[in-house]
Amino acid sequence: MPEEVIRLNNLSFRFPDCSKAVLHNVSAIIHRGERIAICGPSGCGKSTLLYLLNRLYPLNCDGIVSGEIRLFGKNGEHYAPGEINRRIATVFQDPDAQFCMPTVEEELAFTLENLHIPQADMEERIAGILSLTSLTEWRHSKIHSLSGGMKQRVAVACALIMDPEVLLLDEPLSHLDPVTARDFVCWLDRLQQLRQLTIIAVEHRLVHWKSFFKREIRLGKDGRVIADGPPAEIPALLFPSRLSGKAAEEALRIQGLAVEIDGKTRLSPLSFSLTRGEVTIVAGPNGSGKTTLLKALCGIHQASGTIQAISRRGYVPQSPEFMFLTQSVSQEVAYSGISSLQEIKGLMNRLDLSTIADSHPFSVSHGQKRRVAVGAMLADKRQILLMDEPTAGQDAASLQELYTLIGQRTAEGAAFVIVTHDMSFALAVADSVVLLKDGAMTGKYSAADFWTRDDLLLAHHLLAPEGVAIHEASIE
Amino acid sequence: MLKDWKLKEIVLMSLFGVVFGIVYLVFIHFGNIWAGIIGPIAYEWMFGIWFIVSIISMYIIRKPGAAVLPETLAALIEVLLGNAVGPRLILSGLVQGLGAEAAFAATRYRHFNLAILMLAGAGSAVFSFIYGYFISGYAALDPSFVAFMFTLRVLSGMVIAGMGGKYIADGLLATGSLRGYAISRSGKGDAGA
Amino acid sequence: MKHLLNDMNPSFKFVIVTLSMIVMAFFFNPWTPLIFCCGIVLLQILFSQTNWKLWLVCMLPFAFGAFGYLWTTIVFGRASSGTIIWSSGFFDITDQQLNLALSLSFRVLAFSVLSLMFAFTTAPVKFVMSLMQQMKLSPKLAYSVLVGYHFLPLIKDEFVQIKQVHEMRNVAVKNSRWLRLTSIYGMLIPTLASSVRKAESAAFAMEARGFTGEPRTSYFRPIRIKPRDYWLSLLFSALLAASCIIGVLLEK
Repeated sequence: MPEEVIRLNNLSFRFPDCSKAVLHNVSAIIHRGERIAICGPSGCGKSTLLYLLNRLYPLNCDGIVSGEIRLFGKNGEHYAPGEINRRIATVFQDPDAQFCMPTVEEELAFTLENLHIPQADMEERIAGILSLTSLTEWRHSKIHSLSGGMKQRVAVACALIMDPEVLLLDEPLSHLDPVTARDFVCWLDRLQQLRQLTIIAVEHRLVHWKSFFKREIRLGKDGRVIADGPPAEIPALLFPSRLSGKAAEEALRIQGLAVEIDGKTRLSPLSFSLTRGEVTIVAGPNGSGKTTLLKALCGIHQASGTIQAISRRGYVPQSPEFMFLTQSVSQEVAYSGISSLQEIKGLMNRLDLSTIADSHPFSVSHGQKRRVAVGAMLADKRQILLMDEPTAGQDAASLQELYTLIGQRTAEGAAFVIVTHDMSFALAVADSVVLLKDGAMTGKYSAADFWTRDDLLLAHHLLAPEGVAIHEASIE
Repeated sequence: MLKDWKLKEIVLMSLFGVVFGIVYLVFIHFGNIWAGIIGPIAYEWMFGIWFIVSIISMYIIRKPGAAVLPETLAALIEVLLGNAVGPRLILSGLVQGLGAEAAFAATRYRHFNLAILMLAGAGSAVFSFIYGYFISGYAALDPSFVAFMFTLRVLSGMVIAGMGGKYIADGLLATGSLRGYAISRSGKGDAGA
Repeated sequence: MKHLLNDMNPSFKFVIVTLSMIVMAFFFNPWTPLIFCCGIVLLQILFSQTNWKLWLVCMLPFAFGAFGYLWTTIVFGRASSGTIIWSSGFFDITDQQLNLALSLSFRVLAFSVLSLMFAFTTAPVKFVMSLMQQMKLSPKLAYSVLVGYHFLPLIKDEFVQIKQVHEMRNVAVKNSRWLRLTSIYGMLIPTLASSVRKAESAAFAMEARGFTGEPRTSYFRPIRIKPRDYWLSLLFSALLAASCIIGVLLEK
């Protein structure tokens, strides 16, 4: 057995302003070279556990810890600030919020300066890590101009340049499209073998990781370890079967819709139509114009061409709180004053918002925020709902909730246009798929025969979801 | 002084500086149009927007320096963003921040109610006016006109920075995103007192 | 030669610019700021590569401001003695008053020219790095400022998104100017809430990479002080002194 690097003894943790503990009696021993996934539903304390391992907590949140964390055979509390971070490095979830210098090279140098590496040695270490991570040609690139996938690689390079023994990852794939995520995992696999790293990742969906992890620590809702062992067989996320709500009546017909911003063509003329109760997925690589299409449909972007529709279109951004204007959920839904009180009440009930009617819309859970946003749009009598990346960073429970929400609304005659990277979700929910690439529409396909078109999928940076086979089988 | 500060608090102040830098740009368009016609007085009524970062940061973080630091950082960021007023901003940012800081220090960083926030807004206004009096040569102007400018600026500091700052910070507090900062720990204790 | 000002140590430049402004505030004759103004432009022409078209565009609002200053000082100027050189029904203008008004508006121009010189020849990141290396600015502050600087495009983007979504919800009521001003408050709250989150992630990311805020012992790209920095500082000081002396002499 390789040596032990981390040992948790009955670790419990709670935040100062909350009496309920986030983690309960967590015990585990982690050995050098292990690949561990920490899984569990939202709010189970997986990220908290990660922050305890790299010592960002409890100092940063004044949290209360009981039990013991032993890092490399020494009590975690006996390390000076910053000392442990050289041996236990971390890559965070949001690719946009973990850099502070303009270029890749300067960002790497920032890390070396933190470690007080003599200037004479810096060049060699930077060149070395760039070649190890195959990033040499991006050395002088501006970080903010890189794609999400490249940013995550740069973040890993910045972590590895410290020569750490343990690498912590906080949901590193949640902002990446499927092909980029797959490539990232292969790349990381090679690095782990080269460096004999211990990798511990927080992840709520292991699908994209294939067989990367050898051990899974599963936390329950209450912050206790409920399983610790080889990863459970990855269950394809199964959504309850749904009858398509697709009706015959046409809800939306667009012809020659095109968008030009500051003299640049963002969307070449495209045409398609949608019926009531239909769910259309818009998919394509990052930067292919998906969000532009949604914004043009609801009038945020000026567009040429014609749009005929049964109602105005409602837009739900990726962060639903961007659209909130009031101090309570009920005011938020009633904001426009278009629906009558009676209608609002019915709507709140159907969306299951009555229990949180007086809460501040920012303080409810992400799933609830999304329901509030959808409620506000429906109360505006907007029967065609445009959702931008509602699946990004969502766990299974939240996805199932979204699935139910869409199913119920389509049954009432609403139509959906949804941008998403999550193909297993798309498979479950879509009646049709609109593919975009480089600002042009490749076509609109019926969901029934779309998922076997590997050529189309690959050309648009998509991967057929794991569930396709099961799905096909269940149809036969 | 910086030893007691968490990094996330300093970064927060810096980001607030960016956000209000953007807001200020929106307002300065109003000012610029008028400045040529009605002179420097065009900027007086909106001077409070400059002080608001101090007030909000202090109200949220409640540590010595939480008024003067963000104001200086905000000015430095403005310079980085290529604000044509340039390095002069850093000095005036420092002076304004000191004005607000003086008000909080005078009350020993114990209370953060509306009256004190407005006092801090006024403090920024007074300090920045003295600095302006010197650097822009207000001495050459008619005393009654100077008095008018001064009153306008102090009012702006009290209303826009003091009241506006509290209003914005309370709005932000209600969203629940300030968990982990002093303002959330203080409870209801001094907020309304 | 054509890069001398761009290559000058930013901290030196910063100190010189600030010092010049403070000194300038003691002079109330029109000549000192005027001469200084021309001198700075001349130096910038000689020792830097400047996009002068852009420079003119940036200068325009300041020129407006200077004009506003001119007539404010004439109309609302302190009553003074001197010969009346022009008179309207409401007020008289004396030569002293005109001198003072010219002096103050030239001062506005001098400050602007100086600021633009700094802005046009200084790379932002290098400036902060130099403040940290030469002026002993705390790394905690310096890197926080840099984080803010890099988040600007992101925050701006979010601000625009929030504005767009709010406008979509508000189609009916967005028309009055006052409402548009109050709507800024509605946009501020989501922007600030998201900044709070971003600030925390950024701070965590920095700490996770061993950043503790203690002074650094070595830099990847040290910003050094070279002889030219002293020469240029001397040149600026000479210009400042000359314009002060000549200004005072000319006034007499």
